[in-house]
Amino acid sequence: MTMSSLDTTGRATHFLGSKRDYWRLLSRGALLLIVTLGLYRFWLMTDIRRFLWCHTEIDGETLEYCGTPLELLLGFLVALAVLIPIYGSFFLAALDLGSIGQWSGLIGFVGLGFLGQYAIYRARRYRLSRTIYRGLRFSQAGSAWLYALRALAWWVVTALTLGLAYPFQVASLERYKMRNTYYGNQPGRFAGDGWRLFFRGLPLWLLTMGPIAAAISALVGAVDWDGVVNALGQGSDNVMARVEGASPGFGAAIAFSLLMLAVAIGMASLLYPVFQSMVLRWWCSGLRFGELSARSKLRIRDVYRAYMRFLWYALLFTALLGAVSLVLGIAVAALSVPDGAELAGTAIALAGYVVAALGYSTIYRATVLLSLWQLGVDALQLSGVEMLDKVEAGTRTGSSLSEGLADALNVGGY
Amino acid sequence: MRDTAIPAAGDGIYFDGRVSVRRRVRVALTVSGLEFEDTDGRLLGQWAYSEIQSLNAPANVLRLGKRNNARLERLEIADDALAAAIDARALQIDRSGGLQKRQRIAVIGWSVLATFSLLLLAWIGVPAAAARLTPYVPVALERKLGNAVDAQVRETLDTHRLGVGFECGTSNTGAQSALARMQQPLERAAALGTPLTLTVVRRPESNAFALPGGHIYVFEGLIDKSATPDELAGVLAHEIGHVAHRDGTRAVLQQAGLSFLLGMILGDFIGGGAVVIAARTVLQSSYSREVETAADVYGVALMQKAGGDGRALGTILNKIGGATEPGMKILRDHPETAARIAAINRLASAGKAAAFLGAEDWASLRAICKG
Repeated sequence: MTMSSLDTTGRATHFLGSKRDYWRLLSRGALLLIVTLGLYRFWLMTDIRRFLWCHTEIDGETLEYCGTPLELLLGFLVALAVLIPIYGSFFLAALDLGSIGQWSGLIGFVGLGFLGQYAIYRARRYRLSRTIYRGLRFSQAGSAWLYALRALAWWVVTALTLGLAYPFQVASLERYKMRNTYYGNQPGRFAGDGWRLFFRGLPLWLLTMGPIAAAISALVGAVDWDGVVNALGQGSDNVMARVEGASPGFGAAIAFSLLMLAVAIGMASLLYPVFQSMVLRWWCSGLRFGELSARSKLRIRDVYRAYMRFLWYALLFTALLGAVSLVLGIAVAALSVPDGAELAGTAIALAGYVVAALGYSTIYRATVLLSLWQLGVDALQLSGVEMLDKVEAGTRTGSSLSEGLADALNVGGY
Repeated sequence: MRDTAIPAAGDGIYFDGRVSVRRRVRVALTVSGLEFEDTDGRLLGQWAYSEIQSLNAPANVLRLGKRNNARLERLEIADDALAAAIDARALQIDRSGGLQKRQRIAVIGWSVLATFSLLLLAWIGVPAAAARLTPYVPVALERKLGNAVDAQVRETLDTHRLGVGFECGTSNTGAQSALARMQQPLERAAALGTPLTLTVVRRPESNAFALPGGHIYVFEGLIDKSATPDELAGVLAHEIGHVAHRDGTRAVLQQAGLSFLLGMILGDFIGGGAVVIAARTVLQSSYSREVETAADVYGVALMQKAGGDGRALGTILNKIGGATEPGMKILRDHPETAARIAAINRLASAGKAAAFLGAEDWASLRAICKG
């Protein structure tokens, strides 16, 4: 205690977990997911969290995760009980309403999006209430419905501004989350500034959106659309020649647009790690609990390294998968019964798909996601840690129902 | 006690669950539990071995708490020898993970069993339940369902060919009445209790299908392929079989049941919704093979009841079957065409009946999409 009052800035946090242990945990989990057709996910999710939490050391103390798989299972069953009547009545309503039924797809999309945001907030509440640090619990207040409304409104704004509003969306939603987050009785807050992230991210946005804008302007400017529509309307023979005649340069404009689209997609995938580390660093640096404040020194090149590792392992896995399916394919082709061969072929394709999807997601978790966690924790610097000796227990007991809805809607995070 | 290798005391860190302050404590092991006091010698806690539990912590730390304690008191021991000594005395503490492993194996065993039971449910239970439930679906609901599906079908099938409508023969009364003359004897013989809606549409494929509530679609390509009126009527009789068996409604119920079972209960840890869709397609097509066979049986019987040639269905199937698009057999809805035709020929009596439709009517029906 005497030490901590002297050294109040730059207290580091560390991630202590070993990659090898995490690989073992994930690969065993993936096998069990296959044999249990996914039922094992509640246990695997709990194991993953226990691993990440207990290896995250903040000022000399590690976090403790006290949630159990059975809580997750129970929460999921409750969520099913909620969702089944909703799905059922939706189905019946779509039958009864006729013309509104045609809109049921859109209504369903918005409704499920809303419910998904609600579930995200509830799941966060569950995870926080199962997180213990220095004998005190984290907790989350606030209304999940209000959060969902806010999130939905922001998504609309972000979509309408083609993503330009995204920094303000994250800042606003994080402010809501953090001011309702408590460590013991100490409320948190979020100090990240939307404008800051906006100006950092603007070059990335321009680099990605520029080619798309060029493509659109080429299509709008160089093509005589009335002529093209006219040419298309005259029947199906020799369309391209007629279109080219009606609007010279149509083919070139299309080719240019496709090229620009490819450039945009390439840019987006190349710049994504930059974006991700930018947001993570900004987010970490905005976290506050009373006098405790965080600052992140996350380096972009470390995130790139994680992605390179992912690509490398994914390549190895693809080669392995290709070799195995080649052998199996030859074996199946050698089968004399044609019906049996087709059945076996279908079964192998299905199994191959499951193994491939699980394999890639396991590799992604073990490389990119683990690295983001580890880098995020290791790059964090805390100041004002002396407050960590003075926090008192809160009165909130935490949610008894877990994140089942989030699981049922597939919006769960860590 | 001192002479044994097991230490009876050591250092630890204690959090009292009220304030986050970290306290160094001296932990002593007694016969029935552990006691710990702070550096000033004040006793902070006495925990019986039977009430302590080990909690989530990194491997080099033993983190202890008291069971059913509303306060989150935590005692952390980094001294490995002391941790081992506590582990040896408290039965509930399980640092080697043996207890947890046994529990986990039990969980996995039960999950595998549950998986098998769910698969059986998907394979046998869902179709059986759908078959049992189908007769109880009210006709009014079935018609609504049919109308909803109908709108979707039109949306997807209508190619919006310029100048010509999707439906054939809307203004061609001759062809329409020829079609009605083919439909009436079949409908009378079937005595369904719900009216049929027969529509010929401009599609080149040789195909026909029935929707819930008695909508039957016949494609232009099928009429082109039919050499005799009995061949077309045979396909119609087969489709009426689907309506009589309420196969469309049953398919909707099955689809909903499978989507629910595979999609929601089994969840989507990897984001692989495609697995669900693929599995559903395979399951669905294995159901539908039986359904097709049953519709064949019904179709043959109906044709003969209505005074037509039962074998004509087999004849046209032979033509269509040869032209079916290549694809995996398991995903194809209709069972091996040759086997089907053989089964139809076994059922149908050989006697050649009079043609189902007069030559004049047949000619105008064949031209239904040409106008």
